[in-house]
Amino acid sequence: MDTDAPVAASTEGKNLDPVPATESGSTTDSGVVIETRNLSKIFRDFWGRKKVSALKSLDIEVRQGEIFGLLGPNGSGKSTTIKLILGLLFPSSGRVLVFDKDASETSKNERIGYLPEESYLYKFLTAEETLDFYGRLFNMSGKDRKRRVDELIKLVGLQGAKHRQLREYSKGMTRRVGLAQALINDPDLILLDEPTTGLDPIGTREMKDLILALRDQGKTVLLCSHQLADVQDVCDRVAILYQGELKELGRVSDLLKVQDVTEVHARGLSDAAKSEIADLIRQHGGTVESIDNPTATMEDLFLNIVRESEARPGARRVSADGAASAGQAGSGQAGSDSSEDAGS
Amino acid sequence: MTLQPEDFWSFYEWLFRPNAFLESALLQGIVLFVLAILLGLMVGYVISAARYGPSEGFYAVARVVRDLVRFDLPGTSPRRIVALARLAFKEAIRRKVLFVVGLFVVGLLLAGWYLNPESDDPARLYISFVLTATNYLILALALFISAFSLPADIKSKTIYTIVTKPVRATEIVLGRMLGFVAVGTMMLIPMGFASYLFVTRGIRHTHLEVTEVQELSSGRLEGETDYIAGHRHTFSIDPDSGGRGLTDMVRGHRHYVIRDEEGNFEIGPVADALKARIPSYGDIQFYDRQGNPQDAGIDVGNEKIAEGYGNAGISRLVGVAKGPRRIEHGYVEGGTLGMAEFTFHNVDANQYPIRIPLDMSIRAYRSYKGDIETGIRGSITLKHPTKPIRSVPITFYVDEYTVDEQTIPLRIEPDVSDAASEEMLAGLVDEKDGTVDVFDAFVDEQGDMIVQIRCLDSSQYLGVTKSGVYLRAGENSFAWNLTKAYISIWLQMTMVIAFGVMFSTFLSGPVAMVATFVCVLLGFSAEQVYDTRYYIDAGIERGGGPIESMIRILKQDAMTTQFDVDEVAGKVIKTVDAGIVYSLDAIATALPNLPKMVGTAEYAASGFDIFGALLGRHAAATLGYCILAFLVSYFFLKSREIAA
Repeated sequence: MDTDAPVAASTEGKNLDPVPATESGSTTDSGVVIETRNLSKIFRDFWGRKKVSALKSLDIEVRQGEIFGLLGPNGSGKSTTIKLILGLLFPSSGRVLVFDKDASETSKNERIGYLPEESYLYKFLTAEETLDFYGRLFNMSGKDRKRRVDELIKLVGLQGAKHRQLREYSKGMTRRVGLAQALINDPDLILLDEPTTGLDPIGTREMKDLILALRDQGKTVLLCSHQLADVQDVCDRVAILYQGELKELGRVSDLLKVQDVTEVHARGLSDAAKSEIADLIRQHGGTVESIDNPTATMEDLFLNIVRESEARPGARRVSADGAASAGQAGSGQAGSDSSEDAGS
Repeated sequence: MTLQPEDFWSFYEWLFRPNAFLESALLQGIVLFVLAILLGLMVGYVISAARYGPSEGFYAVARVVRDLVRFDLPGTSPRRIVALARLAFKEAIRRKVLFVVGLFVVGLLLAGWYLNPESDDPARLYISFVLTATNYLILALALFISAFSLPADIKSKTIYTIVTKPVRATEIVLGRMLGFVAVGTMMLIPMGFASYLFVTRGIRHTHLEVTEVQELSSGRLEGETDYIAGHRHTFSIDPDSGGRGLTDMVRGHRHYVIRDEEGNFEIGPVADALKARIPSYGDIQFYDRQGNPQDAGIDVGNEKIAEGYGNAGISRLVGVAKGPRRIEHGYVEGGTLGMAEFTFHNVDANQYPIRIPLDMSIRAYRSYKGDIETGIRGSITLKHPTKPIRSVPITFYVDEYTVDEQTIPLRIEPDVSDAASEEMLAGLVDEKDGTVDVFDAFVDEQGDMIVQIRCLDSSQYLGVTKSGVYLRAGENSFAWNLTKAYISIWLQMTMVIAFGVMFSTFLSGPVAMVATFVCVLLGFSAEQVYDTRYYIDAGIERGGGPIESMIRILKQDAMTTQFDVDEVAGKVIKTVDAGIVYSLDAIATALPNLPKMVGTAEYAASGFDIFGALLGRHAAATLGYCILAFLVSYFFLKSREIAA
C-alpha cells in the first residue's frame, strides 16, 4: 500500500477534485486503493453475440481512507463495477487494480471485505459457524477466530441468536451476519453492495454510523446504492453512473452545494424578528424565498420515537395535532430535503 | 469366478507391463494426462482468443498456467481446504443425506424376506446382495451430492462470499471433493457394519440334535443332524478324535459335532461359511489327447466370449493389440493322454504343515449323457517338475459351480510302475505303508510341484482355467475381506465424486449429473464399444456401428448378413459409423474401468481374499483420475466468470 502514491498522478479528464479525499484521518498516505482504467464490460450470450454493454470506459480512483459512493438507478452498472473490482467478472477491456494488483489475483482478497447485495450466506450454518468458517478462509488460527467472531457478533448485536441457523433469521439479521463476515479479516478496503437494503431505519442508521466509524479507523469504503440519502450522509466522494457511463464524479459537499442560496438556522425568533430579517435581506438586494419552520425527516422522527421508547417504555402519548416531540432532534439536518434537486 | 490374465498381475506388472510397455497402465495414464492438458490448453486458447483476441488469448491461458504453478498450488492452505470440506460435509449432513443409510437398512430388512436362505450358497447370495446394493446406492449418492453442490452455490450466489476471500480455485475443488468423500465415508462405515451383521446373522442357524447315529465296527460314529433351515448334514466322529467330528459341507458351510463323555452330542455353530481364501495359483499347461503340449484346452463351444479387450490398454486403441483376450475354460478329454498340468510354486512344509489344501472349480462337459447320477470322474496326480516321479492318482467326482475343497495328505503313495521312478524314489519310501513325503518326492529345489488333472470317463470332458485349481495357501478373515470390498466401493465413490465435481465446475447441476452418469455408463459399456470397434477393424459383420445397426433394426435384417443398402450409402454409413465408434472407443479408453472395480465384490462373494495388488491398482487409478479431475476443475473454475 505504501507504494501506491505515484499512481494517483494519472488522473482523468473529469471534473475531479484535486484535494485529497480525507483531510482528517490518515493524511500521511492518500494512495490509490482502487483504480479502474478504461474499464468496460460487455455481456455476451453463448454464441458471443453482444447482449448488453453494462459498463463503458470507466475511469475512477478510490483513495485510501475515503468513503466512495457509486450511485445510479437500477441497471446502471454499479454492481457490475463492484463485481469487476472483486474479480467475480472479467473486464471485456481495460483493467482494475486493487492495491496495485490485478483484480483477478486472489491475494488481494486478504485485505478486502465484501458485503454482497443480498446476504449470500449458507442458510444451514449458524451465525457463529458462518463467521468461524469465513475466518478459516483467511487462514486465521483457532484462537484468533474465536476472539474475532465474538467481537463481531457483539458488534452487529447478534449475541442472542448466534446459535441459530441463518434460515431462521429475519432479513435484517442476515444482513448483519453478512456485514460481520465482511469484517472478519479486519479489512483495509470494504466493498458494500447496497448496504442498507432490508434494514429498518435503526439498522440503517447503525450501518451508516458503522461505515463512518470504519472510515475513521483509516479504512477505505466503496459502497453502491440507490438510496440517495444514505449516500449523501456518509460518502466523501461519489460517482454517478447511468447506463454504464460515468456521468458525475466528485466530492459530495461540492456537488451538492447550491452556490447562490444562503441558509440560516436560528432558534427562538419571534415573528417580528423574522420579518425584520426578511426586510434586511431585501435591503441587501437578496430575494427571500421562504422563511419557515424546518421539517424533520421521517428518519429523524422515527429514530427519536424509538430512542424515547427505549428510555420510557409504555404507550406513547400523541397530541391532537399529531406533532409529538420530534422537533428538536430534526433541526440539525433539516435542510437535507432540498439536496436531491440541487445535485443534478 | 474365472480370473483373467490381468487379475494375476502384480501391481508392478500392471503399472509397467514388462516387455509390453504399450499395454501398461502407466503409459495409459501419461497419455491421458498429456492429452487432457493439451486439449485443455487448446480449448482454453480458442475460447480466450475468441474473447480477447489471438495474442491476449495466449496470455490469458499462460496466466492461468502460471497462476497454478506459482501461486495457487504453493498457496493452497490445508486450513482453507478443511474449512471448505467441512462446509460441504455439513451441507450434505444438514440436507439429511444420512437418511440413505436408513434407506439401506430398510432395504436390508426387506431383502431378508426375499433372499432365499435355502439357496445352494446363501453366503454368496447375501454378500453379493449387500455389496451390490451398497455399491449402486453409494455411487448414485456420490453422483447427486457432487454434481449439484457447486452449481447450487453459484446459482444462490453464496459462492460470491467464498471467492472474494483469499480462497484459491484449488482449495474450492479439493474442499468439495474431500468434503463429499468424507460424507460418503460416513455413510459407508455404518453400511459396512450393517452388511456384516446382515451376512453373519443371515447364515446363522444351529442344529439342535442328531438323529440316526450308528457306530460302525471300526468304532467310528456316523449320523445326521436334524433338518433346520432347509437342510441337514451328515457327520462322522472318528474313534481317536476325542469325540470331535465334522459334518459334511452343505450350502457352503459345516458344523463341528462334539460328543461328550456321557454320550450327548452337541452341534456347533456355522463354520467355514464365510471365507477369504488366499490362493496360490500355478501356471497352467494343457496336453491334447496325444499328450502333446498345447496353449489352450479344447473349446467345447461358447467359451470364447468376446471380452477382455480392456487390459491391452493403449496398444489396443492404437491398433497394435487386436482381438478379445478373455480366457474361459479349456477342456481336456477323458480317457486319453489329455490333461491339464498346473505347476505350483513355493510349495514347502512351512506353508502346508498339516496337509496341502487343493481347491478346484472344475466344469464338466458331457458329450453323452452317461451316468447322470454320479457325475464325471477326474483324477489328481502329483508329479515332480523334472524327474519322472508321480503319485498314484487321487480320484474325485466333479462338483460344478462350487469350490471343491480337496486335500492332499503330506504322505502319499507313489507310482512305482516303472523302473526309473522306483530308482529315483530309493530311500524315500516308507517301509510300512509304502508312502513318500510329498515335499521330498514331488517338490524340486525351487519349491515347484506339478499337479495333473485328468478326466477319467472317456469322451467326457473336464474344463479348467488357471484360476480354477489352486493351492489354498491360507485364509484371511472374512471381516477384513468385506472391508476390502468396501474400500473398493469407497474408491469408486471417490472417483465418481471427482468427476461430478469436475463437471459441476462448468455445467449446471442436472447437466453435470448426466455427464457424470454418462461417464459411469460408458465405463461400464467399454467392453461393448471395444468389441464393436474390433468387428469394424477386422471386417466382421456383427451389426456394425450405431447408424448401421439402427438401419438393420428398421429393416429387420439379421446382424450377420451383408449390409443391404446402396453401395455408396453403405460406404458413407460405415465411414461415419467408424468415426463414431472410434471416438467412443477413445473416450471409453480414457474413462476409469469401473466394472473391474465393481468386480471386486465377486471376490468377496465367492470367498476369495481380495488381492492386495488389485486394490492397489484401483487405488492408483483412482488417485490418477482424481488428480486429472482436479486439474480440469481448476482450469474451468479459474477461467470462469463466477458472477456471469
